[in-house]
Amino acid sequence: MIRQQRGNLFYYVIFLPAFLVILFLTIYPVFSVLLNSLFRYNFLAGERSFLGIGNFLRIIGEQMFRKAFLNTLIFSFSATLVEASLGVFLALLFYGNYAGKRLTMITIIFPMMLSTMVICAIWKTMYHYEIGILNHLLTSLGVPRMGWLISKRMALFSVIIVDVWQWTPFAFIIVQAGLNSMPRELFEAASIDGAGYLSTVFYIVFPILANQILLVFLLRTIDTFRIFDKVYALTQGGPGNATETVSYFIYREGFSFFNLGRASAAAVYTLIVIALIASFYIRNILKKEI
Amino acid sequence: MSSLARKGVVFWILLAVVVLLVLAPIYWIVATSFKTPTENILPEPTLYPHVFTLRNYVQVIEAGILRNFINSLFVAITATVVSLVLSFLAAYALGRHRFPLGLNSVFLVWVLVVKILPPIVLAIPLYTLFTRVGLINSLWGLIIVYQVYTLPYCLWIVFGFIKALPVEFEEAATIDGASRTRILLSIVLPLTGGGLVATSIFSVIIAWNEFLFALLFIRTPALLTLPLKIVNFIGEYETLWGELMAVGILATLPILLFSGYVYKRLTTGFSMGLR
Repeated sequence: MIRQQRGNLFYYVIFLPAFLVILFLTIYPVFSVLLNSLFRYNFLAGERSFLGIGNFLRIIGEQMFRKAFLNTLIFSFSATLVEASLGVFLALLFYGNYAGKRLTMITIIFPMMLSTMVICAIWKTMYHYEIGILNHLLTSLGVPRMGWLISKRMALFSVIIVDVWQWTPFAFIIVQAGLNSMPRELFEAASIDGAGYLSTVFYIVFPILANQILLVFLLRTIDTFRIFDKVYALTQGGPGNATETVSYFIYREGFSFFNLGRASAAAVYTLIVIALIASFYIRNILKKEI
Repeated sequence: MSSLARKGVVFWILLAVVVLLVLAPIYWIVATSFKTPTENILPEPTLYPHVFTLRNYVQVIEAGILRNFINSLFVAITATVVSLVLSFLAAYALGRHRFPLGLNSVFLVWVLVVKILPPIVLAIPLYTLFTRVGLINSLWGLIIVYQVYTLPYCLWIVFGFIKALPVEFEEAATIDGASRTRILLSIVLPLTGGGLVATSIFSVIIAWNEFLFALLFIRTPALLTLPLKIVNFIGEYETLWGELMAVGILATLPILLFSGYVYKRLTTGFSMGLR
């Protein structure tokens, strides 16, 4: 009995460090954000007064926040859609055996291994208006130069391209894992029954891969919704506010102006949207399981 | 052969296009890093270095990039070791003991939730907390805050390894009179060792590449990590592309070497186990 109790204590002792770290780094901050969002709170001035939902009402009325929110939705939705579609396309393309398969697979996964900042550095130079390689290729084809990162209409689109280049491999890996776990006979049977390429894809592959595809959508939506690094490195939210995103808005409010109340309110909006997105996908994935 | 696996001319063309789209930017970073500064700002970009030079590499190393390199290395390795130790201990407790109030599953689910929280949301309160306890502008502060990313990841993976471990070894050792600590260190640890090494790859990559917290928490130039150095380069020296790309390549090589090494060790390790 004594030995039993001492044994239990042992488990508590070894569990405690990780538990405390998680408590301090995640549970405390989340509650703190919820609380701070209700205050007028400037970190530098040290002033803090209760405001209720004032922060929430105010920032949602501001053009800058709405633009940031809209940009984030556009970015998240289009990047996810393109990455998932390309991932499915590549998985179908690379299905089966052919010479050099291993090598091409490794090549395709490569962008995922690079640091986001290195990727931004490459694309920033390629996007350069006067001496970038992309505009050079365009002019040599007789097409006028594009202001990839400096035109209000193009900038967000250019940031999306960078994200697609970096993360399509991830979508590809997940989808192709699902595709390869299907019995090969399934497709062979379909061929014998006279199904062509497209009907095999639409009536056999898509229904069975639905879960993998949903998973890609879930993970990529959540990840793209927090877009910060690329905006910081490529455009700093500009030109104007063409690439302003919610994360960038929170960053500026919190760490340039030190308005922690307003930044926290924006963070709570983000949390709500992320929770909605996650629950939507997870419910669909669970429904498929049953 | 099914219609999905059939490969025709269209396949090879598409394959070539895809490989080109992936490789072209990577080729560009390598080529640019070996060009002279004047060649890099020609109005008509050259497709390969006409004058091959290592000057960019020498320049960034002389400017003190090794300092940032060591910072990144220190932070990535220490954060990973801390995460592995904490998650090994906690995962063992979660796998072998049922805590009251369903804490086991509540904790594991919360840890999953953490993975979907945007870091910028956590950043505001952590910034004020770390300022108060003097962990701002310190590499140790970064190591602690990186547990936000690395600990949840390690916990789930290591928990999987420990769940898969048969309890019989530990029961036999208990009957032989071995202490709990002894069982943990001389039976469970060696059996999960390979798994821990595999887990370390992604943890190191996450910490090595992390940008947001590094940007917010580090002020002193001597303490900057590589991603910060790169972003400063992008901002400050609009067209010192050769040096920028050299830093990029120096920042990429360790990750490639490390994953290659671990991958190789793992595959040989497994085959040794089979023998």
